[in-house]
Amino acid sequence: MSEPQRTLQSQSPDFSAWVDLHGDYLYKYAIFRLRDGSAAEDCVQETFLAALKAYRGFEGRGSERTWLVGILKHKVTDHFRRVTREAPIGETEGEEFEHNEFFTRTDEWSNHWNADYAPSEWHATPSELVERSDFWKVLNDCLSPLPGRTASAFTLREVDGLTSEQICEALNITVSNLWVMLHRARLHLRNCLEINWFTKETTS
Amino acid sequence: MALKAYDKTKHAVRYWLLRRLPTCKQTVKVISESMERKLSLRERITVKLHLWICLWCVWYLENMELMRDTIRTKASQEPNLDSSSLPPLSAEARERMKLRLSQRND
Repeated sequence: MSEPQRTLQSQSPDFSAWVDLHGDYLYKYAIFRLRDGSAAEDCVQETFLAALKAYRGFEGRGSERTWLVGILKHKVTDHFRRVTREAPIGETEGEEFEHNEFFTRTDEWSNHWNADYAPSEWHATPSELVERSDFWKVLNDCLSPLPGRTASAFTLREVDGLTSEQICEALNITVSNLWVMLHRARLHLRNCLEINWFTKETTS
Repeated sequence: MALKAYDKTKHAVRYWLLRRLPTCKQTVKVISESMERKLSLRERITVKLHLWICLWCVWYLENMELMRDTIRTKASQEPNLDSSSLPPLSAEARERMKLRLSQRND
């Protein structure tokens, strides 16, 4: 709505103005998914250069930003594809996030929750959490120790809402790999959020 | 007195069930998969029964739902990325991109 109109008026706009208009937005979009500053920069730069070539086809129809984000989405997926082709998945990737200690007990109930790690009730709603920028910092910090591909699978699934097939194709993994990764990511995140957010919230 | 006998029976039933059902460790894995695929009838029944007697796994499921709903809500607000706490583009990258774009501008 607040989209600048200048590109509509002039036939050959000043393309470098895109950097100030959309650079931060595109970079934030990319880094939220890639968690790697230089990879995010590369994707944004590739997006601008691709947009430059394709500009005649766009010709100011619709929002410039939406158009750029559309290109960036492809660049991010290409990046995942490239990285995973170079490093095929290892059998043990992320095994330490199996978190066996959550279910280790000395009594007869082994493989049930260990009371020290068992979930508690979270008193919060999505609408209040999205308003808390410190919550997103905690969430990001909790995601960062996960192996890159596991964190990416989680982000593509939960943030972008991609289907299993799309994620498996982009990350070069099987569906059962994906389910194991998502499970490990969720188990780890839940515990990390409980310690670093929900427990602190109720005691403060 | 009657209440005590009832509690005892309830406890025995729970104990008997929990001994025969999948463990918490197995159940949370199935809970995660339920977010990805349709569970079989057998899985649905065993998870339901497990949740009936295990409050920890009930909370686990509720926590999963809150995580998913919160992230989805956030993602649907993506136009607000500008004001988010994520880092902006560095000055150096900004200059580099401007240069590349202006070179191709001719």
